[in-house]
Amino acid sequence: MGFLHHTFSEVYARRNNWLTRVDIRVKLLYIISLLSINVLAKNISVPLFFLFTSFVLILSIKVPFPVMIRNLLLPMSLAIFILLMKGLHEGERVWMSFSFIGYKVALKEEGLWSGIHICSKVLGGVSLVMLLSFTTTIRQLCTGLKWFRIPNTVIELLSFMYRYIFLFLDEVATIWIAQKSRLGHASWKKMIQSFGILGGMLIIRAFERSERTCEAMQVRGYKGDGILMLNLSPWRKREYFFTTGILLLVPLLVYAGTIPVW
Amino acid sequence: MHITEGILPPQWVFTWFAVSTPFVGVGIYQVKRKKKTVPGYLPLAGMLGAAVFVFSCFPIPVIALNGMATSHPCGTGMSAVLLGPFVSVFIAAIALLIQALFLAHGGLTTLGGNVFSMGILGSFSGYFAFKTAQRCGLSLFWCGFLAGVISDLFTYFGTSLELGLLVIHKGGSFFRAVAEIFGMFMMTSQGVLCIVEGIVVGFVLVFIYKRRPGILLSLGIIKDDTKPIQI
Repeated sequence: MGFLHHTFSEVYARRNNWLTRVDIRVKLLYIISLLSINVLAKNISVPLFFLFTSFVLILSIKVPFPVMIRNLLLPMSLAIFILLMKGLHEGERVWMSFSFIGYKVALKEEGLWSGIHICSKVLGGVSLVMLLSFTTTIRQLCTGLKWFRIPNTVIELLSFMYRYIFLFLDEVATIWIAQKSRLGHASWKKMIQSFGILGGMLIIRAFERSERTCEAMQVRGYKGDGILMLNLSPWRKREYFFTTGILLLVPLLVYAGTIPVW
Repeated sequence: MHITEGILPPQWVFTWFAVSTPFVGVGIYQVKRKKKTVPGYLPLAGMLGAAVFVFSCFPIPVIALNGMATSHPCGTGMSAVLLGPFVSVFIAAIALLIQALFLAHGGLTTLGGNVFSMGILGSFSGYFAFKTAQRCGLSLFWCGFLAGVISDLFTYFGTSLELGLLVIHKGGSFFRAVAEIFGMFMMTSQGVLCIVEGIVVGFVLVFIYKRRPGILLSLGIIKDDTKPIQI
């Protein structure tokens, strides 16, 4: 689970570059608008434009290409699964048919085109989310969510959970190595038992830690009210410029998404 | 089991958000109310949420592929047993948001759909399976086992339903698509995984009961820790 620690450590989002310096409110406005356009797009050109632009922007802040591809692998596998499902169930014109363990498989043209459309949307959408995650820390995200009037309880719990995921990942890694080195994973049966002990220990430690944290918070005057200390800076010229940009860009992209071209 | 960004068309994006929002809203309200009366509730919910999130990242080897690939548990059954169904839906929504942003599992426009299948169906089915098993007098292990298995099965069914609905207006057979997707999930890694998750949840509860029964008592999972229960 080592890669998870790396993933959650905001290694790219904590770098100082032109994209991480963009105000979170502007970033959220852009990502929400562009994701909506991506979902509404009726052709593959707009989602592929998002994919290309996001990749160029992410590469410009020196995120390694293999990291981007690794993030795309899982969504793409599901997108290909959908492509096959659509090809099997949608439309009437058979594009290709064959027999598979006694089951007649017929891929239809309309379904496959529709599947390709979905694949392009997956690529466009995931690349936009990657752009946000590679340039935004969880603290910035919480600040942005507060500005968008998301309830404080949501932001508090989000920041709490995110803060403690690291600690628990470390604890799990330590117990995991200890179990492995003492033949706790020698057989499949032993491994399942070890998982159970590991999960149980995790819950016990989470419970104990929550008691200690609560005491520490109460010492500092916590009585069950808000714990957020997020400061929003006033908008500068730059933010107004970016917002005007998205206002001009949205109608253009919405129109481009409706043009029946590939 | 995460539906990836971009897969759902606009009408289903809105539908699933509309279905999920009230459940998440009740979860938020419950946490907000409890944290005012019990100051330690917010850290407790946050830590247990983080622990369940990490639990859901355990790489469990897929036996059918001779351990060449790994899958991971959902964890919603366990969080529903520990925190109750509505708070579990809320925790699942936050976990799905984190996964969508940092792991590219799921997505932001598909968050409503994923909350419906993993959060709502997974939490409520797991919680009711646990409570029903408890009322039937089953041992703690079997109660946990059923919560894990049933919550996973409902999650897979929810995802199959959401994916099956994609072909409904386009001349496709909805029931056949749902059955095929569900069958494919069960035949590959998920069929075995739901049983494994059930066993692990059972072991987790038994382990906590043996080591710190007070935790299960304070979370309302067992009634009285002075009276020994069947494990």
